[in-house]
Amino acid sequence: MKAYLSVFRLRRRLETQYRGAALGGILCQVFFGLVLIALYRALYAGKPQPMPFSHVATYVWLQQAFFRMLLASDADLMDKIRTGGIAYDLCRPVSLYGFYYARITAQKLVGSLMRAVPMLLFAACLPAGWGIAPPASAGALLWSLLALVLGLACVSALENITMAFTMRTLDFRGVQAMLNMLMMTFSGNILPLTLFPDSWQRVITLLPYAQLLDAPIRLYTGEYGAGDALKVLGIQAGWTALLALAGVLLWRRNQKRIIVQGG
Amino acid sequence: MDTIRLYIRSMGMLLKSQLQYPVSFLMQSLAQLIMEGGEMMALILVLDRFDHLRQWAAGDLFFFFGIMSVTFYLTECFGRGVTGNFPSMVRSGQLDTVLLRPRGVLTQVLCSAVDPRRITCIAVGVAALVMGCRLSQVRWTALKALLFAEAVSFGVMMILGLFLIEAIFCIHSVKSVELVNVLTYGGRSACEYPVSIYPRPLRVLFTAFVPFALVLQLPASFILEKPLFDWPFWTAFLTPLSGAAVFFVIYLFFQRAMRYYRSTGS
Repeated sequence: MKAYLSVFRLRRRLETQYRGAALGGILCQVFFGLVLIALYRALYAGKPQPMPFSHVATYVWLQQAFFRMLLASDADLMDKIRTGGIAYDLCRPVSLYGFYYARITAQKLVGSLMRAVPMLLFAACLPAGWGIAPPASAGALLWSLLALVLGLACVSALENITMAFTMRTLDFRGVQAMLNMLMMTFSGNILPLTLFPDSWQRVITLLPYAQLLDAPIRLYTGEYGAGDALKVLGIQAGWTALLALAGVLLWRRNQKRIIVQGG
Repeated sequence: MDTIRLYIRSMGMLLKSQLQYPVSFLMQSLAQLIMEGGEMMALILVLDRFDHLRQWAAGDLFFFFGIMSVTFYLTECFGRGVTGNFPSMVRSGQLDTVLLRPRGVLTQVLCSAVDPRRITCIAVGVAALVMGCRLSQVRWTALKALLFAEAVSFGVMMILGLFLIEAIFCIHSVKSVELVNVLTYGGRSACEYPVSIYPRPLRVLFTAFVPFALVLQLPASFILEKPLFDWPFWTAFLTPLSGAAVFFVIYLFFQRAMRYYRSTGS
């Protein structure tokens, strides 16, 4: 366990080094957030929906703030797989899956927190109807934070599976772009899941992608009440366990048949 | 003339080399298709729920989406050297070799890469255009076709110019600067919808400074016969020229920046 914690700590230090890049990223996401909210405002003006607009604005800001949690592929690891540097990691006296799990989790957590805190502060200062609304209640905030932690665990497990596939194909760009697109669409980044057709929502909210950010956001806005909270957390935990198990098995199989590139 | 022949020759060579790995090429094209298809699906879903956006009907919105996709991905396909590879050329010192040859820097950079995978994104854009024309019952005339071609070509020029801004930053700072994406990718995302729906600051940004509204949207709105601004028809032939203006201004800065180029070489 200590080994994984120190991997996590090292990764955290590395990630906090790139403050300039983080600032650029924040400004980009803020711009995208403002454009999206302006668009949805115009759409709402034409045909108001049962869901209050402040929920949509809140949804957009939380998605933008935690964007980094969804999309942070480990470029180092990709290089290692391609160049054969992964052989060094095979020599380490730790489980390869655990090693990468700790790495990816640290990268996602620190990367997104560094961006989310200033962005949410900014979004909270915007006038009503543009900015982020406060949580539905203290309980809702607590549940959504819990759900966010589980969402992080789930997305890290998901990314480890992507990595495992990458190891098999070598040319990772095709597979990765496809998996990323699935993630962006069905996690609610391109279009809030709450604006998908109602009949679709019943299915897509059960997919693992909806567990990452959609579930915490809906708990935050109060769309999922305290009564639903345990059910939601249960679904999240279930997916996390399932995906982690699938990941461990895939990595184990990969490790048996690995052929290292390069000389 | 000579430059154009050179460009076409290198495009041919690069295409041939890329098609040497057909499976990888197919996979990546498919990925691109899914990516742009996802954006289009979002638009379809938005229209499913809201069915119109201010005065714009569904067909109009598909048309605006289509003209933007086609223009943007044509740029990314044929201008790959500028839109994708330039930062790594600076970082690796590869740009030095460019300086030794008796041709312009921009020409050589443009000749250095092509991205045929984007063909699927362009196809999605074309599909959106066709859908838009059908739904909005666009009556095509020769003049409108000419206007469309003009808008797309100057649009490509302008987007190339916007990517050159990133190149300029890159020459000065070596690192690629994420912030410039606001104008390129941000501009694309925002201007998939007519600018008239946005609040004033965004409207001004995309009309006066990064004139997607003038280059692409005003001509598109005249083709749809729902003018974006209350201007006479012939103005739609003039406003795309602002795209060329943007390109030349940025190109001047690019030339200046090249004088400050210090190799990272090793």
